[in-house]
Amino acid sequence: MTGVDARTTVPFSIAQALLDDAPGAVVFISPDWSVAYANRRAAELADKSAREIAGADFWILFSRFEDAATKRRFSRVLKDGLEIEFDCEMSPGQWFQFRLRPIGNGLALYGTDVSENRIATQSLREREAELTDFLENGNVALHWVGPDGTILWANDAELALLGYTAEEYIGHSVKDYHVDPPIIDDILYRLANNEKLQSYEARLRRKDGSICHVAMNSSVYRKNGKFIHTRCFTRDITADKAYAQFQEHLVAIVNSSEDAIISQDLNGLLTSWNTSAERMFGFTAEEAVGQPVATLLVPEDRQHDEPEILSRLQKGEPVIPFETKRRKKDGTLLEIFLTVSPVKDSQGQIVGLSKTVRDITDRQRKERASQLLAAIVDNSEDAIISKNLDGVITSWNKSAERLFGFTGEEAIGQSVAALLIPDDRQDEEREILSRLRKGERTDHFETKRRRKDGALLDISLTVSPVKDSRNRIVGASKIARDITEQVRSRAALRKANNALRRSNADLEQFAYSASHDLQEPLRMVSTYTEMLRRKYGDKLDSRAHEYMDFVSEGGSRMERLLHDLRSFMQVSIAGEGRPPVVDSRTVLGDTLANLKPAIDEIRAEITSGPLPPVAIHEFQLGQLFQNLIVNAIRYRSDAPLRVHVEAVREGDQWKFSVRDNGIGIDPEYQEQIFGIFKRLHAAPEYPGTGMGLAICHRVLERAGGRIWVESEPGRGSTFFFRLPVEAPF
Amino acid sequence: MADVGLVRESLDEHKVRCELTVIPNGELAVRFFEEADADRRPWPDLVILDLNLPKKPGMEVLRRIRSSRVHRDVRVIVLTSSDNQKDREEVASLHPCLYLRKPSNLDEFLKLGAIFSRNLQHT
Repeated sequence: MTGVDARTTVPFSIAQALLDDAPGAVVFISPDWSVAYANRRAAELADKSAREIAGADFWILFSRFEDAATKRRFSRVLKDGLEIEFDCEMSPGQWFQFRLRPIGNGLALYGTDVSENRIATQSLREREAELTDFLENGNVALHWVGPDGTILWANDAELALLGYTAEEYIGHSVKDYHVDPPIIDDILYRLANNEKLQSYEARLRRKDGSICHVAMNSSVYRKNGKFIHTRCFTRDITADKAYAQFQEHLVAIVNSSEDAIISQDLNGLLTSWNTSAERMFGFTAEEAVGQPVATLLVPEDRQHDEPEILSRLQKGEPVIPFETKRRKKDGTLLEIFLTVSPVKDSQGQIVGLSKTVRDITDRQRKERASQLLAAIVDNSEDAIISKNLDGVITSWNKSAERLFGFTGEEAIGQSVAALLIPDDRQDEEREILSRLRKGERTDHFETKRRRKDGALLDISLTVSPVKDSRNRIVGASKIARDITEQVRSRAALRKANNALRRSNADLEQFAYSASHDLQEPLRMVSTYTEMLRRKYGDKLDSRAHEYMDFVSEGGSRMERLLHDLRSFMQVSIAGEGRPPVVDSRTVLGDTLANLKPAIDEIRAEITSGPLPPVAIHEFQLGQLFQNLIVNAIRYRSDAPLRVHVEAVREGDQWKFSVRDNGIGIDPEYQEQIFGIFKRLHAAPEYPGTGMGLAICHRVLERAGGRIWVESEPGRGSTFFFRLPVEAPF
Repeated sequence: MADVGLVRESLDEHKVRCELTVIPNGELAVRFFEEADADRRPWPDLVILDLNLPKKPGMEVLRRIRSSRVHRDVRVIVLTSSDNQKDREEVASLHPCLYLRKPSNLDEFLKLGAIFSRNLQHT
């Protein structure tokens, strides 16, 4: 109607007709509150005809408005010229929206039936309340955050999730509730930049201090492009997180397991393959997954394994873990211990199976080795027993049964002391146990043990500590050998040896006595021959004299023989017991003094080098020097005799040498000269009994030394002998 | 008994005039000295004793002599072929005694006559 000038172009009757057709009510009110005009709809409202209305009092006509407050508002419009709008229920359920404005010097009231609008608004309100209730009380946590980070609102679900009251939460900075400050900065930054957040994970701190893992969906509510607040839906994923972590752990466990853990579907195709499986079989997961297990791993002779496993599982029967063999990538066979369990879907339907494979190749090898050891122990001739540190028997082999008469059942668990050890040897076991605790072995200890039947056995016992993997002593192994026979024969041997020694001593004594006693009659032969020669010599002819010479000569030779024989025997008799240490220089001096007449007679030159103290009986050493020097004198050459005696240290022995410039000894005879009565030269050219070197030899035998000669015929001989620095026993 | 001949020769050699009683074994020697103790026999001036005697050893005879109350100081010369140190020591303990070894050489033996003579003269 804008731009149409009604006053000039539309006649009043037409305007009246138009107004009557209008759906709304129109009333012109004169300043004296009389009705100047009311259209048809207004007349209907007043429930009067158009004629009745004209000129009637407005307040009487529309008594619905006749209250003080409305009257005042109407008067104010008239007075101030400002238009007002208001709603009014004209009859139950019939709502009108009115506009009142000044027109001319009166007022115009326009009314529109808004009953239907009102119903619509009402239902809108109710829906809003419902939504609000939903937001407030639904189980989705929600909050609004203002652009400055202040929490503007949060629903009960959010408060319940975090445990705060509305006062503790709303109005505070959202940053106060985030565990990770950079996260909330990031969230706000993203939102400010028009990003929508989907399942953005964050950690919130609950009032009780615990941490709540959440996933947030958030966007900004804008009005006319202006950031009003964020709308943030918060989902608690703490449990999901824990579950995810649990799954990660499971994966980690599977991957770090020493055992190969693999799974396969019902067609026998591998579906998973852990790190140990890679290590154990040599196939990588890429190589293995998707391959049929039968061709990849199962050797020819074990092909029946797989169908059997499957058929059992499908029948719902358990597969008892069993030992079998599998092939590695490089073809070598593994001894394995296989545990199989079904994999079921959520309906309980078997969809595959998982296998835990333990490599027992090493264990099998160790088992075989220990079986071998056990067999050796069992078949040993010796009794092999083990016991703990309390002396309680823990193992008992067949020989132990045979030797002691107790079966393994009877022996194991019994104390060694009570079962086997004779009463008078109980201390022994305590000693053995105490040595054992110190980790010491007892080797070839000879003792006696009692059999089940009470008989005593001689045994040789070796006890060694048994240690566990941490090197702690936990017991002992005992090896007992029956030496009853050995002990018996050893005793017999000792007895025989003693008898031999006695008879030897008797013989020596006899030889000594004989050499002594034979001298007596010999002396008679010599002296009476001499007497005969002296008293009756002039009455005998020359032949008788010659015969008497033979008798004398034989007698004196016999006398020398007996003398040397006696010396020879004396070497043993006078050499009993541990030898003292004597100064060999002094002994040589005494010897030379004894031999002085003989030495002087031939003008022999006898010199000596360093001579040490040695462990030997003085008589024996004197015999050595005397016989060697007499030997040198006897077997001298035409040149003036020179003899040199000295000793040099060689290790723990002294090497003596007696060197001469005599006739020497043919190498052929250098061994035999040390025998009894052995002579290389005939008397009278070289007098001697053949006993001298035999005596020397015997001395060295007795003193734990050795004598030998180095000689070149015509250039002299050197006799060497060694004597220990320390006494030999 | 061969030594008796030599002793006699050695006494003759040195012109020793004496009565020589020869007792052939240890048992008789012990009896001889028991009877002498009982004054049924005269005591000798010198006893020449071998240690190696039949029946009873010379050492026992010597001990018997030394146990006599009256005549234990009788002069004894032990003439023996033993060179045993133990014998020497025991004889020395039964003082007064001379221990002589029998010489194996006739000349040496005959020289013993001088020793016998000296010991007889001292009585």
